[in-house]
Amino acid sequence: MAKSKNAKANVQTSVTWKNAFKRDWQLYLLLLFPLVMVIVFSYAAYPGLRLVFMDYKPAKGYEGSEWVGMATFAKIFKDADFFRALKNSIVFNLMDLAVGFPMPIILALMLNELRYPRFKKVTQTILYLPHFLSWVIIGAVAYSMFRPTTGLVNMALMNAGVIQEGIPFLTEKYHWAATYLLVGVWQGMGWGTIIYLAAITGISGDLYEAAMIDGANRWKRMWHITLPGIKGTVVTLLIMNLGRVMGSNLERLREFGNTQVKDFQYQLAIYIYDKGLGGGKFSMSTAVNLFQSAVGVVLVLLADRVAKKLGEDGLL
Amino acid sequence: MKKNYLQKVLAMALVGTMALGTLAGCSEKETPASGSNESTSVPESSDQQSTEESSTQDAGSEDADGAGVAGVEGYTAFAENVTLSIPVYDRGQEGVPAIGENYWEQWLQENFGDKYNITLKFVPITRTDVLTSYSLLASSKSLPTFLMEYDFPKLAGWVADGSLTTYDLDQFAQIAPTYYQRMVDLDQIKYTTMDNGTYFVLAERPYYNTSYTFVKWVRMDWLRKVGYDHIPATRAEYIDAMTKIQEEGIADHPAGGATSADMRGIDQSYQFRDYPMNEEEWVMYGDYAIPALGWEPNKKLLRELNENYNLGFTNPEYYVTDVETAKANFINGKTYEYSDYIAANIDWLNSFYATNPDAELAIAVQATEADTEYGTVPASRSDNPFGMMIGFSSQASEDEIKAAMMYMEWMLQEENLFVMQWGFEGDNFNYGEDGLPASVNYADYEGEHKQGFSNNKDYWCVAIEARSAGTIEDTIKAATPQGLPQDFSEELIQHYYNKVAAAEKGWIITDCMFGTVLTTIEEYQGDLLSMYAEARDDLIMCDPEEFDAKYDEWAQKYADAGYRAIAEERLQAMKDGLTSAMQQ
Repeated sequence: MAKSKNAKANVQTSVTWKNAFKRDWQLYLLLLFPLVMVIVFSYAAYPGLRLVFMDYKPAKGYEGSEWVGMATFAKIFKDADFFRALKNSIVFNLMDLAVGFPMPIILALMLNELRYPRFKKVTQTILYLPHFLSWVIIGAVAYSMFRPTTGLVNMALMNAGVIQEGIPFLTEKYHWAATYLLVGVWQGMGWGTIIYLAAITGISGDLYEAAMIDGANRWKRMWHITLPGIKGTVVTLLIMNLGRVMGSNLERLREFGNTQVKDFQYQLAIYIYDKGLGGGKFSMSTAVNLFQSAVGVVLVLLADRVAKKLGEDGLL
Repeated sequence: MKKNYLQKVLAMALVGTMALGTLAGCSEKETPASGSNESTSVPESSDQQSTEESSTQDAGSEDADGAGVAGVEGYTAFAENVTLSIPVYDRGQEGVPAIGENYWEQWLQENFGDKYNITLKFVPITRTDVLTSYSLLASSKSLPTFLMEYDFPKLAGWVADGSLTTYDLDQFAQIAPTYYQRMVDLDQIKYTTMDNGTYFVLAERPYYNTSYTFVKWVRMDWLRKVGYDHIPATRAEYIDAMTKIQEEGIADHPAGGATSADMRGIDQSYQFRDYPMNEEEWVMYGDYAIPALGWEPNKKLLRELNENYNLGFTNPEYYVTDVETAKANFINGKTYEYSDYIAANIDWLNSFYATNPDAELAIAVQATEADTEYGTVPASRSDNPFGMMIGFSSQASEDEIKAAMMYMEWMLQEENLFVMQWGFEGDNFNYGEDGLPASVNYADYEGEHKQGFSNNKDYWCVAIEARSAGTIEDTIKAATPQGLPQDFSEELIQHYYNKVAAAEKGWIITDCMFGTVLTTIEEYQGDLLSMYAEARDDLIMCDPEEFDAKYDEWAQKYADAGYRAIAEERLQAMKDGLTSAMQQ
């Protein structure tokens, strides 16, 4: 009897929603909550976007605030500081992408090659840790290490006679740019490996076995099996990261900022805070954010299209 | 089977945890004062409630009509429970009782709230970001019953954005006669209006123009080493002393220095001004909230800072040094001076003496003579002639506003204020031989009655800005740092009397206050403060020969970025008779 039931199940080609739900209800239940969260916090808030067309005053609310049409956008697009912030945001995010995006891939490939499990786990944990540090802590530590004369790094280099004068890691704009980007890479690369390592585990071990029999060394196995195996994941994450090219992180910029590097530090998050939120101009802050999001969506769609044209699955 | 069961349980547990975790953030705390729920909320069906309803009348309305006895004696409980939402500064300090769950809030509930059927709710306001805190509360329609701040422009902003509502001064005089009379006596009524509406209630700030609480400590032992038996009194002496300290190898950069995240109130140029001041200049540029880049006194001040930097007195890394690091540098004996507010217990002074047991400090007492050679006078900013400025929320009901007025009046009563300010004898204070209360060391008491920041100041500041115990000299002695190898009380008393002398000479004047909302400030302040931070560091660190050209360039940019418009609007307000009068 049991045998015939199994036989019947084996020939079934499609699964109804009802059966799927009955079978995997635990998974659907787990999905339900994040889904509700996204709907409530990401979509239910959309009507609030109307405040970009208003001179919104919190105490007056939507009902009492005055409608101003496109005046807020007009004001922003006439502001030279906005374009300065926009330029810096785009340049730094593209550099962040160029420097920061490949690092987790390289790191994941390297971690995958580690053979001693305990060492691998300890290494992974150490690499993940910076992700859990807030930018406030990272910024304070960075200043302690990189101040021109009293920073630990400069003091060590000067005492060792390597340099005569402190390197202005955080006090000269080009040095600052490099330090800012590299600290960003350090903070995020370990955590970024998780998805790639998960993708790597999905690659069949048979492929590696066959390659080894054919005499492929580690480098060739990595190049011809691992990398092609995670290509889809790489493309998907690249598309998603392109959507963040307009974004910027206020905490990171604030904690690393000082007046000597404002030329580069002045990015959209700073612009929004200084000119918008800091002065209670919620309409203006939201308008800039909306602009950032709109450009981000366009970039994602474009990247998705390009990826599909190149024969990849894309994101959408 | 076991695996399936485990999966189900885990799924349910995870979803339950996520749901509870999120919903916990959505809940509203009805009564933050722990343990006070039962005593404050009166069930509608209870006998007690019906008895109270029949025997009492609405306190506010009776008094407002003038039918009852005005003031605390005439208060009766509200017929229906009223929630009074009170803002309290959250200063992010360690070791102080948390807002919303401490004994003193419970004490207020029991001694004020329960008596008048008022539920007190204490709302934390982030001290370092007051405007954002109130904005977030306003947007969620949960503003406290009253808003309060020390800075006049912030209050003006709240009037402009509709956060505040007007109130009836006569009604206030009925409900809070002691408070009102004090406002009359202190000549504060003229500050209650904005654009012809009555918006503000003003607390008292004793000794507002002779404030002695913010002082500079200097290394007297260093001065003695370089041949001084007094603190340098002139610019020439200062340069000489600092240079000798450097030459002796005592400190590389004796003046230290730190950056500030907030440019409001920085670079006060009072000592570089001409007295008596030109009234128009006082109105246009004499402001505290936006530095007057482009005005001659500001230029002179920045030139002095530039000189200090180029002489090496200032820490060359000051612009990447935070205030805490600057304090640590002083404690570690790396800098000559450090300024702070005085209090009976100052942790960093204890640390200083522990690190430098042989050190001798001195307080830079207010000077009373001008430095004619250098061209400065020992002038400084006077505090506002009031403490907290309090306005009532536009989201509050009539009864809530009445409850707020009752709270202010009640807090001002001597017996209530004393307990809030000093706490309980034995725990928080002891009477000295002179019969005056003296606070116990804050760190020495960790019991239930531990007071909040600065002796609960953020609770009683609705009434007054400082504690007092006997004469001014007794008060200063009570506020003098205790338990140190040195006693600073005599210097502080001298500092106070010198302040009085300077005020009498017209060197300590209050900034102009505007009886109208200045829209240009709302529009340009953020930009200007951001630009000023950049400009001041550029001007401080530049070559002295480049200073003038750079200053003019920045001044032009600053004016174009909105400062000119602000100055013009201020001047117009003066011409329209909407400014306070200069008193000197």
